Amino acid sequence: MADMQTADRRSGNQPQRGSPRRLSIRIDLTPMVDLGFLLITFFMLTTILSKPQVMPVAMPDKTPVQEPPVVSPQKVLTLLLGADDKVYWYEDPHQARLDSTSYQAEGLRRVILDKKERVTRLFGQQERPDPRHPGHSKSVSPMVVIIKAMPGARYKNVVDVLDEMHICQIAHYVMLDISEPEKAFVQDPAVGLNFTVAQQMAAAYQRH
Amino acid sequence: MTAMCDVAFLLLTFFMLTAKMKPQEPVAVDTPSSISETKLPDAGTLTVLVDKDGRVFLDMAGQHTRLALIKDMNTQYPMGLTEEEQLKFTIAGAFGVPRNQLKQWLDLNPTERAQVQVPGMPADSTNNELGPWIHNARLAQFHMKQEGKVSDEYVIVVKADKDTPYPAVQKVINTLIDINVNKFNLITSQEADPNKTEAL
Repeated sequence: MADMQTADRRSGNQPQRGSPRRLSIRIDLTPMVDLGFLLITFFMLTTILSKPQVMPVAMPDKTPVQEPPVVSPQKVLTLLLGADDKVYWYEDPHQARLDSTSYQAEGLRRVILDKKERVTRLFGQQERPDPRHPGHSKSVSPMVVIIKAMPGARYKNVVDVLDEMHICQIAHYVMLDISEPEKAFVQDPAVGLNFTVAQQMAAAYQRH
Repeated sequence: MTAMCDVAFLLLTFFMLTAKMKPQEPVAVDTPSSISETKLPDAGTLTVLVDKDGRVFLDMAGQHTRLALIKDMNTQYPMGLTEEEQLKFTIAGAFGVPRNQLKQWLDLNPTERAQVQVPGMPADSTNNELGPWIHNARLAQFHMKQEGKVSDEYVIVVKADKDTPYPAVQKVINTLIDINVNKFNLITSQEADPNKTEAL
């Protein structure tokens, strides 16, 4: 680590009497620098990694809307998030067939992408301003996803579904409270649903 | 070697000083993962914490704002807090007690607070204390901004555990909508984006 050199080593082991002994101390700094860089790495990583990621969410305003937008029932996909990591889905409430799937990529994502493809084939793409590039527009699918979490759902399920919206690039989605008929529908799919998309949209815009 | 050592320690000092202490949270919260890559903004945050059992905690940055907030709350809803207790509130961090227990809770010392079991803040539609707290905190921050003491208004952040039953989170979200906070952020941890991994 640190070694000491006497200045007069060359002149044999006998130091001259009277002359001051000159010592030069040489310290090996390598371990200290190692430690320094290790700590730097640690602090750099903790500063960068400590900042959490966030998922921005916008919810509909509570002010009731007089005329809710008219949406074709064929564009709508409703996802009901149930207990035990199950997700139920149906399309047009008038002729609702209840189906369930999982949050895996081959489950829910396939359902959404399949519906998206059908909607896009029927209605074409929609142009709307791109929030990331002001002045430009991007084409999005006119599909509408309604997300309703049932009391048994976990918070993770909701985040997963919102994530799926980003992955599948769904431009129109809304989170609503689940209604009693839908709860009964999940219990017993034979009951069916007795409301229309228009009524559902109206309920969506008067949530409180 | 000496020069390198100097540089290393200079950088080390820099990173140590800029590093922020992680704020103490009253409950451990394991956030779900998402593909979102948005970072939490540096501006002051108001965090609503929901733990696994659905208990709600509230935390906000800024000691000046907290002092103004607790003064407002103590006037609007008399809790009988003394000056000293109000000062304690400014550095108390996250709190999750109903208003009628706040005085008692503030009288504990920080170690006792960490150990004591708290009921969480009521956020039901019938008994909602979370709404007034957030509303007044935003007002206080707004006044601070007008006085030039802070640069930004609060960014509202919801941090919930992945196993939290959704109705507990829904209560919080409904409370936020009720006080006209329609835009907020959910804290998530990073997960790979399948669209990007396929492209690679």
